[in-house]
Amino acid sequence: MREGQTRRPGEALFVGFLTLASLGLLIKAYGIAGFEALSSPGALPMAATAVMLLSALIILRQTIKAPAIRTETIREHILPAAVVVAMVAITAYAFLLEPLGFLITSFLFLAVLIRVLSGRSLFFCVWSSAACVLLIYVVFRIVFSVLMPEGIVPEREILAWLGRLFGGGR
Amino acid sequence: MQAVSAFLIPFLDIQLLGLVAAGTFAGIYIGAIPGLSVTMAVSILISFTFAWPVYPALALMIGIFMGGVYGGSRTAILLNIPGAPAAIATGLDGYPMAKKGEAGEAIGITTVMSFFGGAVGIIVLAVAAPMVSEFALKFQPRDYMLLAVLGILLVGSLSGESLIKGIFAGAFGILIGTVGLDPLTIADRFTFGFSELRGGISFVAVMIGMFGISEALVQLHDVNKAAVRQQINRIVPSWSTITKYLPLSLRCSGIGVIIGALPGTGGDIAALMAYDHAKRTTKNPEVPFGEGAREGLVAPETANNAAVGGAFIPMMTLGIPGDAVTAIMIGALFIHGLNPGPMLMIDKPDMFWFIVGALTLANVFMLIFGLTGIRFFVKVVETPRSVLIPVIILLSIVGAYAVKSSLVDVYWMLGFGVLGYFMKLYGFQLGPVILGVILSRLLDDNWRRAIISDQESLPMLLKGIVTSPLSLVLFSAVLFILLAPLWRKVTARRAA
Repeated sequence: MREGQTRRPGEALFVGFLTLASLGLLIKAYGIAGFEALSSPGALPMAATAVMLLSALIILRQTIKAPAIRTETIREHILPAAVVVAMVAITAYAFLLEPLGFLITSFLFLAVLIRVLSGRSLFFCVWSSAACVLLIYVVFRIVFSVLMPEGIVPEREILAWLGRLFGGGR
Repeated sequence: MQAVSAFLIPFLDIQLLGLVAAGTFAGIYIGAIPGLSVTMAVSILISFTFAWPVYPALALMIGIFMGGVYGGSRTAILLNIPGAPAAIATGLDGYPMAKKGEAGEAIGITTVMSFFGGAVGIIVLAVAAPMVSEFALKFQPRDYMLLAVLGILLVGSLSGESLIKGIFAGAFGILIGTVGLDPLTIADRFTFGFSELRGGISFVAVMIGMFGISEALVQLHDVNKAAVRQQINRIVPSWSTITKYLPLSLRCSGIGVIIGALPGTGGDIAALMAYDHAKRTTKNPEVPFGEGAREGLVAPETANNAAVGGAFIPMMTLGIPGDAVTAIMIGALFIHGLNPGPMLMIDKPDMFWFIVGALTLANVFMLIFGLTGIRFFVKVVETPRSVLIPVIILLSIVGAYAVKSSLVDVYWMLGFGVLGYFMKLYGFQLGPVILGVILSRLLDDNWRRAIISDQESLPMLLKGIVTSPLSLVLFSAVLFILLAPLWRKVTARRAA
């Protein structure tokens, strides 16, 4: 993913964040049981966070000392538009899943993402998303028996109606 | 007799037979499609099969694992895009063959040799694992502790460019594994006052985030990369071709099994080492290496499939995963209430023999599916990434939600996905994180047992390590991995 001992855009910031997070977690780990005993519940968390902090400091030093890659930019090589759109779409999906339900949220998620990523026609995005959602629904809801939020779609009623239709009204 | 009947279960039960077949078929496509990985597929699959009985769940996952390792070679040959890291070496000679119009022959050789390598790996697993597990019964808690540290360090040092980043990732994984209530004292660890965190962070959410979402986000960098299609000729290789390369295949299977059995090393390293071995030992290849040498296909393909059987040896006998996929398999066994390690081999030997049987069956299906359906295959792998990646992301979200019907797990998955994405971009390995999560409990339990039995005294623990040959070997290996880079630095400075 990267080239030798060089620094990519935003790398120092990321490693700095990891270092600060490690320090915060070490303090939190100390708060579990302090230096009470080597077998205390805080012993392993303290050891793990201490190793994290120490290694993060070494990585930070190496990163700052490494020459920056001048040909890369954050917008093109670290957070291109496609990645940002996908991250926003996943977050929106997580928030809309329960109120709207699996079928509608998944359809919207796929249609929007395929449209943005591929630039294909709206018709293609709509039918390919609908086909994918239907396939995933059939496989996971019926084969794997995974229960997903129904939201505003009366799934159980529709499934019961389909059952009556194909079961001859029994 | 019990072993034979357990071995035959997947062959005789029609449902299990179908699941192994379906898994292998799906695995070939998952392994082949660039952007999809076996690790990603198995981690997503856990969330859908956790409610299943253990045999069907394992049958499907084993099929995907076996098929996936092989599947990567097909796109390496046809498109010069390895579907999986284990197929990187395959493309070096496979793609030049395809460009000469010999794609069918290349696929045929890789399929037969993958089958051969897979079979050797499974035989070694069946013979060696019971012996290793018997030996593992002599392990003390401190040995398990050292073994867990060694496994994480090996993954950290061998799977990436920087040991120190591997160490950070491993320690981070251990930390994630400690979140929640301490099982011994019920003390809160990193719960920050949230009751949702008392049960810990779902490792399925961590796995899907780290391997599903982060990989999908990375793949979005090349979302519009187009593939070049090749012509396919005769696929089934001649008997004389098979016998000609059998000695090399056998040697490379040996390399594959040994490398696969070492924690931290998987099919990718085995394939590259076998390729190097073939290059050094083949004096006069008919076609030079890099231009379509058959030996350059035989070596990596036998080795990476042999590594599958090898990777199951530490997993089944010690509970230490050989690589990220076996780490996830251990997670699957945990979910089904099984605890891999020497006691599993003694208490439930049928489970071990079932896995050996399922691997054998998957290997046979890999041969069948590998030699058929190429034209359909070419169409499927050409699915545009702009359609494929959103579907993978959707499957990841559904997978994270499905385990506990909890949106909290989706948020965790998203968080770990974004974190994993940046870690990947900046050269941090993700394998040690998962290994850390999986081994955290083993490490915690055995550290506490070891230190309590030594009366909370570090000098006594060290004395125990130094006076036990096994502990000393493990401790020396840990020290070697930690100190070797420093030593190299010092000698390089002196030389300069």
